[in-house]
Amino acid sequence: MGSYVTTLCKEITSTLSQLPQASPLKTLFFGGGTPSLLPPQYLSRIVDTLDQHCGFQCDAEISMEMDPGTFDKQTLKQFLGLGVNRVSLGVQSFNEDFLKACGRSHGLQDVYEALDIITGLNVSNWSLDLISSLPHQTLEHWEECLREAIGLSPAHVSVYDLQIEEGTKFGVWYKPGHHPLPDEDKSASFYRLASSLLREAGYEHYEISNYAKPGFQCRHNMVYWKNQPYYGFGLGATSYFNGKRFSRPRKLKGYADFVELCINQSSDNFSANEEYLSFYSNTVESVEDRVCDTIMLSLRLASGLNLNELSKNFGHELRVHICKSFLPFINSGHAVAVDSKFKTVPPDTFSTALSEQSASKVLKDVIFIRLTDPDGFLLSNEIISSLFTDLPIK
Amino acid sequence: MDILARIQAASITAPCLAPQHHHKHLQQLCFPMSTGHHFSCFYMHQNHFPVAMPGHPCRIPSGSIRCQSGAVEAPEMQDVKFSKSMLSFDMGKDRLSKVPASQIRNFSIIAHIDHGKSTLADKLLQVTGTVSDREMKEQFLDNMDLERERGITIKLQAARMRYVAKDGEPYCLNLIDTPGHVDFSYEVSRSLAACEGALLVVDASQGVEAQTLANVYLALENNLEIIPVLNKIDLPGADPERVRNEIEEIVGLDCSEAIFCSAKEEGIGIQEILESIVAKVPPPKDTSMNPLRALIFDSYYDPYRGVIVYFRVVDGSIKIHDKIQFMASGKEYEVDELGVLSPGQMQVNELFAGEVGYLAASIRSVADARVGDTITSSANKAGMALSGYQEAVPMVFCGLFPVDADQFGELREALEKLQLNDAALKYEPESSSAMGFGFRCGFLGLLHMEIVQERLEREYGLNLITTAPSVVYRVQCADNTVVECSNPCELPEPGKRVWIEEPFVNIEMITPKEYIGTLMELAQERRGEFKEMKYITESRASVIYILPLAEMVGDFFDQLKSRSKGYASMEYSLSGYRKSDLVRLDILINGEPMDPLAAIVHKDKAFAVGRALTQKLKELIPRQMFKIPIQAAIGTRVIASESISAMRKDVLAKCYGGDISRKKKLLKKQAEGKKRMKSVGRVEVPQDAFMAVLRLEKEVV
Repeated sequence: MGSYVTTLCKEITSTLSQLPQASPLKTLFFGGGTPSLLPPQYLSRIVDTLDQHCGFQCDAEISMEMDPGTFDKQTLKQFLGLGVNRVSLGVQSFNEDFLKACGRSHGLQDVYEALDIITGLNVSNWSLDLISSLPHQTLEHWEECLREAIGLSPAHVSVYDLQIEEGTKFGVWYKPGHHPLPDEDKSASFYRLASSLLREAGYEHYEISNYAKPGFQCRHNMVYWKNQPYYGFGLGATSYFNGKRFSRPRKLKGYADFVELCINQSSDNFSANEEYLSFYSNTVESVEDRVCDTIMLSLRLASGLNLNELSKNFGHELRVHICKSFLPFINSGHAVAVDSKFKTVPPDTFSTALSEQSASKVLKDVIFIRLTDPDGFLLSNEIISSLFTDLPIK
Repeated sequence: MDILARIQAASITAPCLAPQHHHKHLQQLCFPMSTGHHFSCFYMHQNHFPVAMPGHPCRIPSGSIRCQSGAVEAPEMQDVKFSKSMLSFDMGKDRLSKVPASQIRNFSIIAHIDHGKSTLADKLLQVTGTVSDREMKEQFLDNMDLERERGITIKLQAARMRYVAKDGEPYCLNLIDTPGHVDFSYEVSRSLAACEGALLVVDASQGVEAQTLANVYLALENNLEIIPVLNKIDLPGADPERVRNEIEEIVGLDCSEAIFCSAKEEGIGIQEILESIVAKVPPPKDTSMNPLRALIFDSYYDPYRGVIVYFRVVDGSIKIHDKIQFMASGKEYEVDELGVLSPGQMQVNELFAGEVGYLAASIRSVADARVGDTITSSANKAGMALSGYQEAVPMVFCGLFPVDADQFGELREALEKLQLNDAALKYEPESSSAMGFGFRCGFLGLLHMEIVQERLEREYGLNLITTAPSVVYRVQCADNTVVECSNPCELPEPGKRVWIEEPFVNIEMITPKEYIGTLMELAQERRGEFKEMKYITESRASVIYILPLAEMVGDFFDQLKSRSKGYASMEYSLSGYRKSDLVRLDILINGEPMDPLAAIVHKDKAFAVGRALTQKLKELIPRQMFKIPIQAAIGTRVIASESISAMRKDVLAKCYGGDISRKKKLLKKQAEGKKRMKSVGRVEVPQDAFMAVLRLEKEVV
């Protein structure tokens, strides 16, 4: 653990020291694996390194993913002392059987103990993760689970579907859509139920899988969805800056080698420089990629696709083109057009505006197109892939 | 001359004849399937310089001597290897030398698939030294991959052999190969018309099959001398006596002198066959003084030399550089190249009545020199063309569409090229909302259709969707006109029709008796009308039905084979048009008609077909964002209907930093999948669904 953190800190130093000036961080997120197992002194080293090279804004959001059963009150207290101010708790379910079924090592007892620790330390900004579409799950089970979560009044709730990945033991046991996994229709009803119960309880459904009380959206994740740049450090971490997306090696050895290269590269070693660049060579985002990223990410958000920004970045023609592609979905009620006053543009008006040769004032007034909740969100892949198919660029 | 000099230096000293004609292209010298140029060159050389070899004196036949075709210069070549392969040609080496017409024998082989025609032909070529053991590739005469795979011959070729008979005289034997499928019965009849005799080869364990019978009748019509040969007599199941009786009974042929043969390794009976050809097949009439008439029995397109025409000189003679005319097409050309097939192309200067050969005359398309046409001399025209010429009439039609719309241009070019070589292939552009642009193509029959499709896919790299095959319907309209139509979409409206007629065929099935029941069932299912059944032997029967051609073009042949475990065979011929109670069945997806799936079906079958197709589509079209009705309808009346419920959920739950690239890949893949779909109105139908439904349609319609 110690040597990994040392490597990690080397990467941070080498990356940030190459930048002419790194501005203070607005958000920081510890996630992937189980960061709550990280001894506080190591966390301290990481935070210090970051602080040294770029610093933090005073209201920076610092989140940490924590799994029940992996931390005690003392640890969390120390984390908070080091600046962590948002906790994302991987609860998954409030049913012992389902916890086992989704392959978690923690039990229900661990969940409640973890919740006690969080409330005991007055962490107000905390989030709770739930998983739906578990084997044998019924709509009644799911409703119970949601009500239990709402009762605990977290600031933020993330709701995911069980993802069956090939090659995992789940993939061997179960086939999506086949008993005991819920079928597509049932899975859709779980989604609808979560959306309606959580919204009723005052949560805003601000992203396909995320709900928050007003003011408690995860600012870090918003960076991803708004397609803004971010650093990434550590094993398998991804980053997006200078227009490049980059995934770090997922194996410890590969990662260590990569960090070595980073260091040598910064010391003007030519061959290392070449090799380092080859790491990045395929990662420059093409215009098509950037358009696709913008579409697929922004449509995850309730606010939708910002057409003004789209034409600013990619030209007015694309704006008209995309509006046309959206028409059938707007007509079918899976998407809505929104004007500058955040008012919905009626489908008829939108359609008429499009049929006219030049983009009329109405079309200029359409600032956002967003997917509807839950109908549009539920079919977002279908809609986004249709938009991709229609894109005029190769 | 230095090329020749070098060859000579490496060669046997030959009494040299000055080369009169120079080859320009290397490939002209290579016969098909040859393994390399060296061999071909050597081969040419050997045969064009008459060499006296010990034991085989170069005989110059007495009588009218038209000896010495022009020798041909061999192409450049470094190392001619002399070995025993040279000796194996000794026997066949003089096969270009002329013999009087009385010593020419033109014959073909009639046999059912698998009864050993190709093996026998190979053996004849080998025994006469026409092809060496080394060069022998199995089934020499079948040189298209497709033919090889299917074990059938599609395109015919010829082989000239020299055989010194027991009477001590050298004979020139021309084997003219015939295609073995009913789709090509016209081509078969023309090949037979080019012969005076035929070997009837029957598998001694299998007996006579339907197609063999059909071809024997064609041979008898052409007054051919038929020599019965019982093949594969050394196989354990062989029963030559039974089969001999069978031939006598069915064909009414005297089989007392039938030759017992086994063409595989030992070559039992091969010598007898050769002697029998010499003794029994009548020689051609020597009419070389008459104006030229030559019968075309095959042609193919060569990109370098234009169409290569295979012909039999019936009257007169033909020389290189002659001006010739094709009497049916009226086209005139000058002969650039003249030769014989042995089995590779070997040039000569002149061919006379009774001989078989090929010519090239920079002919642009096989349509100018069709099978059955008569070649005559422009300077000395024959009064009348040879009889029997017919233009190919397509019997079966289907739509061919490129899967990828961008391949439309390539498809058109490929069809143009195939047509250069296949006068029977007809096509015209067709477009449909669901399939985009494609062609409606006409074929001689199902096999012809499959061959063309496979060649388009295999040789031209096209990915095609084919619609269910259909036939030509005749529609009697209310305004007293008759409309011919092969495309269901072009069928006149029900209100305008008085009746529809469809083509019927006479079909003869020959089967072991245990399958009579199941085959009669098959024929009944296909709207067959029973005509006749007779036992040809105790254990085998011939069953004759009249049934609609449309019922035949589907999987009838496959069914016949599978239901009889491969033992039955069939043959059919067009018997004419008859009125039928036919309707147009439309398939509608979300209210939009899917043109390529429209079919003309018998009223009694419409419901079953409609239900099968709608069910299949329901299974194969993925859910979409809205509910999709799928209907089968006759006019406005819906006779079967299904519906696909709307898609409920298609969402990627989690998406954070590291996931973006992966999820984008998934979405792009999904988008790619959409591009491969065909839109029918708002509905996206996967290519596979189309294919599967079209396949099903072929089975159920």
